[in-house]
Amino acid sequence: MREFVETDASAEQIAETLAIRGFEVASIERLGGGDAVIDFEITANRPDCLSVVGLAREVATAFDARMTAGPETQPLPTGRSDRLTVHLDEEALCPRYATAVAEVTLAASPAWMASRLQAAGVRPISAIVDITNYVNLEIGQPMHAFDLARLAGAELRIRRAKPGETIRTLDAVDRKLDAEMLVIADRDRAQAVAGVMGGAASEVSAATKTVVFESAYFNAASVRRTSRKLALKTEASARFERGADISAQVFAIERTAALMAALGAGRIVGPVIDCYPHERQPVRIALRRERIARLLGVTVPDADVERILRSLGLALTPMPAGWHATVPLFRVDLLREADLIEEVGRHYGFDRLDATFPAMREPAPPPDPRIARDHLVRRVLTAAGASEAVTFGFLEAKAVEPFAALLDGASPVAVANPLSAKFDTLRPSLVPGLVDAVAHNRRHGRRDVRLFEIGTRFAPGGESRGVAVALTGNAGVDHWSGGARDADFFDAKGAAAQVCDALGVAIRCEPSDHPFLVAGQRAAVLVAAGAHAGTRVGLVGAVAPEVLDARGLPRQDRVVVAELDLDRLAAARAEGGDAVRPLPRYPFVVRDLSIVVDDSLPAEIIRGTIQAAAADGEAPLAAISFFDRYLGTGIPAGRVSVSLRLTFQSLERTLTDAEVQQSFDRIVAALKSGHGAVQR
Amino acid sequence: MAAQVAAFERELAAAASARDAHTVRDRFLGRKNSVVASWMQLLASAPPDQKKTIGRYANELKQAIDARWSAYEAQARATARPAGAVDVTLPGRCAPIGHRHPLTVVRTQMEEIFGRMGFTPVEGPEVEDEWHCFDALNMPDEHPARDMQDTLYIEPPLPGLGDDRRRTLLRTHTSSMQIRYMQAHTPPIRIVAPGRVFRRDDLDVTHSPAFSQIEALVVDEGISLADLKGTLLAFARQMFSERARLRFRASFFPYTEPSAELDLSCWQCDGAGCAMCKKTGWIELGGCGMVHPAVFEAVGYDPERYTGFAWGIGIERVAMLRYQVDDIRLFYENDLRFLEQFPI
Repeated sequence: MREFVETDASAEQIAETLAIRGFEVASIERLGGGDAVIDFEITANRPDCLSVVGLAREVATAFDARMTAGPETQPLPTGRSDRLTVHLDEEALCPRYATAVAEVTLAASPAWMASRLQAAGVRPISAIVDITNYVNLEIGQPMHAFDLARLAGAELRIRRAKPGETIRTLDAVDRKLDAEMLVIADRDRAQAVAGVMGGAASEVSAATKTVVFESAYFNAASVRRTSRKLALKTEASARFERGADISAQVFAIERTAALMAALGAGRIVGPVIDCYPHERQPVRIALRRERIARLLGVTVPDADVERILRSLGLALTPMPAGWHATVPLFRVDLLREADLIEEVGRHYGFDRLDATFPAMREPAPPPDPRIARDHLVRRVLTAAGASEAVTFGFLEAKAVEPFAALLDGASPVAVANPLSAKFDTLRPSLVPGLVDAVAHNRRHGRRDVRLFEIGTRFAPGGESRGVAVALTGNAGVDHWSGGARDADFFDAKGAAAQVCDALGVAIRCEPSDHPFLVAGQRAAVLVAAGAHAGTRVGLVGAVAPEVLDARGLPRQDRVVVAELDLDRLAAARAEGGDAVRPLPRYPFVVRDLSIVVDDSLPAEIIRGTIQAAAADGEAPLAAISFFDRYLGTGIPAGRVSVSLRLTFQSLERTLTDAEVQQSFDRIVAALKSGHGAVQR
Repeated sequence: MAAQVAAFERELAAAASARDAHTVRDRFLGRKNSVVASWMQLLASAPPDQKKTIGRYANELKQAIDARWSAYEAQARATARPAGAVDVTLPGRCAPIGHRHPLTVVRTQMEEIFGRMGFTPVEGPEVEDEWHCFDALNMPDEHPARDMQDTLYIEPPLPGLGDDRRRTLLRTHTSSMQIRYMQAHTPPIRIVAPGRVFRRDDLDVTHSPAFSQIEALVVDEGISLADLKGTLLAFARQMFSERARLRFRASFFPYTEPSAELDLSCWQCDGAGCAMCKKTGWIELGGCGMVHPAVFEAVGYDPERYTGFAWGIGIERVAMLRYQVDDIRLFYENDLRFLEQFPI
């Protein structure tokens, strides 16, 4: 680098300064004799810095140092050659193609070139190949060398590949090409994949006497497409796809000539053939000083603006509001005013900016309502003793299979290009991920696990947000005085009910047929009342043993889960109803009732019968609560004793015993006649 | 007499239990066979001229011992365990309280800090289309900048949201929501966009195929890079350390110009160098920059009139820095021994 810029700065100083200015340093390696190699990571927008000269320009700007005259070249004429004909068939894919013929002598590169190549991670091979690699590292123009004797017809044609055409590239791999790809061909066949890799057939070898140097500019998008389709990434393709320097092709050949002379490796014969049908015009940008100040928030003195941009290679002409800038062709990333302002800013120094605070002109709009709603759900579930889990969102197809039933016949959404089969399907439900989390905790000795997750479920129709809870182990208190109780269906149902209650939606449950839940211990959750009554909003149940087994849990464990669709619940929420209800002014009367009924009679039916019977009674029924359910001694088989607490209360008067009794009797009568209930 | 009283007191003190104490009492004060009782017998059978002396002695003895016994009883009552007494050192009955996930804790904290600076949180879809995720952010298909983020694609695609752009990929950043928000609103804009993002990355100590980000966006007339500096400094001081210093390293993102990487001075060693900052004295805190004019053009804002800044960071990264978590996988294993270490 010191050949190109006059600075005393040490390698460490250069590395540190350029790291702030946009070039992350991967490593600094000290070589013998005071030399060093700095390995920079170059961002995709600065292909011009994929060369020593490009970085030297940055060093010159950063240290306000002068650049030297640059690499030595041998001036060459351009024109037609009698040794080689070039046909540029595809100008759009290859705007410029320069070649020259050289007679070469067998040689190895001198030590200084070999060691520089090695320091840059390139293996020295032979003088000709090394020179092309050296020119690429030095000035950033990828070059290729063909053995002229192996080019049929002494011609090069830059054309699209024919459908089905093949080539064996330098890495000895046979590749199938398509008509979108650009190739460099001789009279008969493809000899190189343009901008990506040369062909084996015309590779330069120890026997080569005459070489054709290619120094070209290929269309970035085309090289990128070709490189991807062939899954072939090279130094050359990396450079071309980021944007090469369309002004450098002939210069590169002249540099090559100078190096060949210096190494005694041969000489260029004849002129440089430069196919450049439409000379590219440099980009011109108007740069306003007011705009620099507005974007950066600091006024940069004109002298600094000019020094920085000129040092980077731009030509500036002053105008009243600022400057007209002409962008050098190697800066493919400078297209508009903001790009120039970034150049000024990063070399002026972001550390010279003040820290100001943007004033608020208007009040902030309200946040996404889902955020507050999710916090509420979290509060309810953490209060219920469950901790929050976060799982990936994708699982393996097999794990998702039992849950596909939730998609009403559609298949789960798959990841088209997963990195691993473990993550190849998007979850239609939060349950499988939570079961995995339960399994992880059980495997590490934790018996009582209560977890919930709020997250996205994926279906072909779209995403929906849900919450799921998983419980296993002790659902009661963990205390020396007792109270331990294995979690069951009703713990999961309770959690779901509390969440729905907090969200303002009354729910009811109905037996379901979810295949991933245990038959007889599974239910669908539905909206109980209002405009959306009957809408499915979730599920509750005990996880089926096959699912537990597949996730590494003992089959006999009981893991109960509930899952709710938060988007549907939000839609089903009744509007209004915020106003406080006045406290009852009159006392309530409680009557307990125990009845024996068939054990298959759902509690919901009993409740419905009671409410219907009480509706026409004299004492309004304020509440029904089930407080006991008893099977066993004294109860006939197939029957169950259910104990209920009935609360009667009027908002207008104190109820008399007679009124309460009348309602009570109506209720008992209805239960007897409707369900064959026997009062105990 | 003094000897008798002293003997009584000694024996009381030696009594191991309430029963033993009563036995002692009975031995001295009991109706039969006690010290006082024998003195009373002696009094009954004493000659008349000695009755007065013996009687006085016996009574004094009885009263003295009685008094000692009353005192003893009073003391025992005062120190006895009352009925229903409990061992107060036994554990109480704790209704279990669940913990919020650390990613929620950190995200909420960040939303609150930015909330105080006037930022509104907004959320967007996790499945996105190419336009919202890339093209609108100045990352057209043919540009190598796309390689900076490896994308996971899905099949079948999901329907478009508000337009007919089919959603074919899992979003790689929450910037897509910023685009949607700008499409739906006019400046001034001041939002944070948190949420899940996905990359085609292996799961290892510092990477995950699914993680979360939060991005801040401000757009108005006259917003500058200096405003970005001030906003992020205020955030860093509240989130990490009052003494925080910031540094911008110039960088490249297709959707910002200028672009920078944000560094925060290490709050553990204050910039001297330590294990936390890998000896550099600085901790990386995400990428930022001024919104690229092409992005404004994509959402229909006039880049002449409006400027803006954006900043984004992984929430896992902030959580790992804040709580010194050294393996990102801990966030997704959901081991309760980990989760229960975070605030409820």
